[in-house]
Amino acid sequence: MMAKDHTLYQDLTCTQFFHQKSIFLLPKFPNSTMTIHTLLFVSLLIFSFIESSRGGNKDRLFTELQNLLEVTAKPVQDVIVLEAGKDMVTIKWKLKSSGKVDADATFKTIQVKLCYAPISQVDRPWRKTHNELFKDKTCPHEIVSKPYDKTPQSLDWTVDLDIPTGTYFVRAYGIDGDGQEVAYGQSSDEGRTKNLFSVQAISGGHVSLDIASILFSVFSVVSLLVFFVKEKKKAKLEQRE
Amino acid sequence: MEVEGKGGEAGTTTTATRRFALPVDAENKSTTFRLFSVAKPHMRAFHLSWFQFFCCFVSTFAAPPLLPIIRENLNLTATDIGNAGIASVSGSVFARIVMGTACDLFGPRLASAALTLSTAPAVYFTAGIKSPIGFIMVRFFAGFSLATFVSTQFWMSSMFSGPVVGSANGIAAGWGNLGGGATQLIMPIVFSLIRRMGATKFTAWRIAFFIPGLFQTLSAFAVLLFGQDLPDGDYWAMHKSGEREKDDVGKVISNGISNYRGWITALAYGYCFGVELTIDNIIAEYFFDRFHLNLQTAGIIAASFGLANFFARPGGGIFSDLMARRFGMRGRLWAWWIVQTLGGVLCAFLGQIHSLTWSIVVMLIFSVFVQAACGLTFGVVPFISRRSLGVISGMTGAGGNVGAVLTQLIFFKGSTYSRETGITLMGIMSIACSLPICFIYFPQWGGMFCGPSSKKVTEEDYYLAEWSSKEKAKNLHLASQKFAETSVSERGRASTHPQT
Repeated sequence: MMAKDHTLYQDLTCTQFFHQKSIFLLPKFPNSTMTIHTLLFVSLLIFSFIESSRGGNKDRLFTELQNLLEVTAKPVQDVIVLEAGKDMVTIKWKLKSSGKVDADATFKTIQVKLCYAPISQVDRPWRKTHNELFKDKTCPHEIVSKPYDKTPQSLDWTVDLDIPTGTYFVRAYGIDGDGQEVAYGQSSDEGRTKNLFSVQAISGGHVSLDIASILFSVFSVVSLLVFFVKEKKKAKLEQRE
Repeated sequence: MEVEGKGGEAGTTTTATRRFALPVDAENKSTTFRLFSVAKPHMRAFHLSWFQFFCCFVSTFAAPPLLPIIRENLNLTATDIGNAGIASVSGSVFARIVMGTACDLFGPRLASAALTLSTAPAVYFTAGIKSPIGFIMVRFFAGFSLATFVSTQFWMSSMFSGPVVGSANGIAAGWGNLGGGATQLIMPIVFSLIRRMGATKFTAWRIAFFIPGLFQTLSAFAVLLFGQDLPDGDYWAMHKSGEREKDDVGKVISNGISNYRGWITALAYGYCFGVELTIDNIIAEYFFDRFHLNLQTAGIIAASFGLANFFARPGGGIFSDLMARRFGMRGRLWAWWIVQTLGGVLCAFLGQIHSLTWSIVVMLIFSVFVQAACGLTFGVVPFISRRSLGVISGMTGAGGNVGAVLTQLIFFKGSTYSRETGITLMGIMSIACSLPICFIYFPQWGGMFCGPSSKKVTEEDYYLAEWSSKEKAKNLHLASQKFAETSVSERGRASTHPQT
């Protein structure tokens, strides 16, 4: 069969061979134009779908909310950096006396959240502040959510174990019966630069983990060396045979 | 599943068939591929090598699905995460090049197991890192293990004959790359199991890393205990007994790097496999952040990208072999260029889509194309050089990682481009870097736009040109001779049977 192949190859002249090749190569993609047209059409469909789905719903904006709540957050002990899981913060919130009478008529719940200060948002797009409330990532950690009873509230909150290292302030949202935010208040100023406090996270590491790492690593490397030595011995044995 | 190659029809000697469970060719390479067999040595080598490579992939990409937790524990910035992503794929650039030569010299079994066992410590030590620098370092060293790709391809090319080598390479690499997808599922599940047992978030992710580490170690043991380098035995044994002449390292390397085709495949692979690696690094975070999903959901979606490798990359390899049967090497090249370009187009689309459902749909289609392109690449690579097969495989494999490094450096570092824009730009760059495929030309078979040389160059001429007359006098070229004979199938059906 091999010899036959060679003969066939040699029998054909250069131009004959190339002609042969090009004949079968062109019909290889007889529907190439059709395929391109289909692809273009499908992509047009996809793009129009994307555009139409963008039109959508009117998102609630943070700037639409009124600053009706007065919130303060102070570390219980006068430390520079709070330790997660150990140190506590006293959080107080109440309706601002300077506001209109009955401004709190729609409040059903107050949701108090821990928020990142701008310095902890730098180069971290997953903590970015967006005006659209559903997109906003400034305040991902909930501290407490309580029904609103028109009285000033106070809470001594221990910083959770999974709070990351960073600089924070506290914000409270007034939420109506539909679960929509209607008002807010925060312990810091508008630029979020004053009255901030820092948290140092737990490391999560343990001595036992470190020991286990070392043991398993040593085991891997030592067994590699053992295998190498065995291979060399085997090769020497086979050489002698 | 069984894939038949033409070599089987050529007939094998009765002594050869008595020694091996599968039909073999002149070099004792198997001419068929039986997926559900573990027969020594061919199919066993296949299963050992893909599983080891799978474990290395799981370890290298174990961090990305847990990044939302890790970034808070270690206080990482977007720049740190970008740097770690680059580090995870850059170590293996060098390692892949070295691995090619190591396989040529020591055999794929020892080379791959040595690498896997020596990078396992990096995975174990991930449990103890306390800072961004620690994170970047463990990802860097763990990433070296991706060089087992080269040993996989080398091993498959040593065990399987021309007509089925594309399929064997494609399935082995595809199932290995599967690890990049599987890890996006495995790690969040392991993490939540450990949390349920009472650990805090910041401890649970650390413990989770012992699982990929252990699997990596155990897979290396399996390779050492049950594997064999060549159909006829191991490199060590054959070296000592004189059956295998040791080739000149310098010559092997210079022969490899002077072949321009190896450089083109390296660049093109950088924009199919490189794209795949980049996506493995960024896609879970992309879905988590952009569509406000939880860790498990983002992980499942991200996993579906890598899991397509189960059939997409092997599909690419099989498609390459099918094209070769009808159209020869030219068919392989055309198929590769078209599939890879389409992959780039879909990638560019992906970044422009705002809806979650459509993002998932486009991502799935895109994953099939980009992974098939990887399979199609290695349908061509085994034919570029016989003497420097390891070097060419290493260069191409390294090129894949260079593509990933470059892409992440330009488009995914820090906050210069949004992730969406980065993905679109990556797609466009992919299309551009696939164009050089048009310039690959084999004088004995032709290229995409040109037929074979009018000087009637044969396969023997091409492969034996790699050896000098002095070396031929010493009979060093015999393996290349055998390979040239079996590679005649790359002419395609029309030239061997012009009547049909």
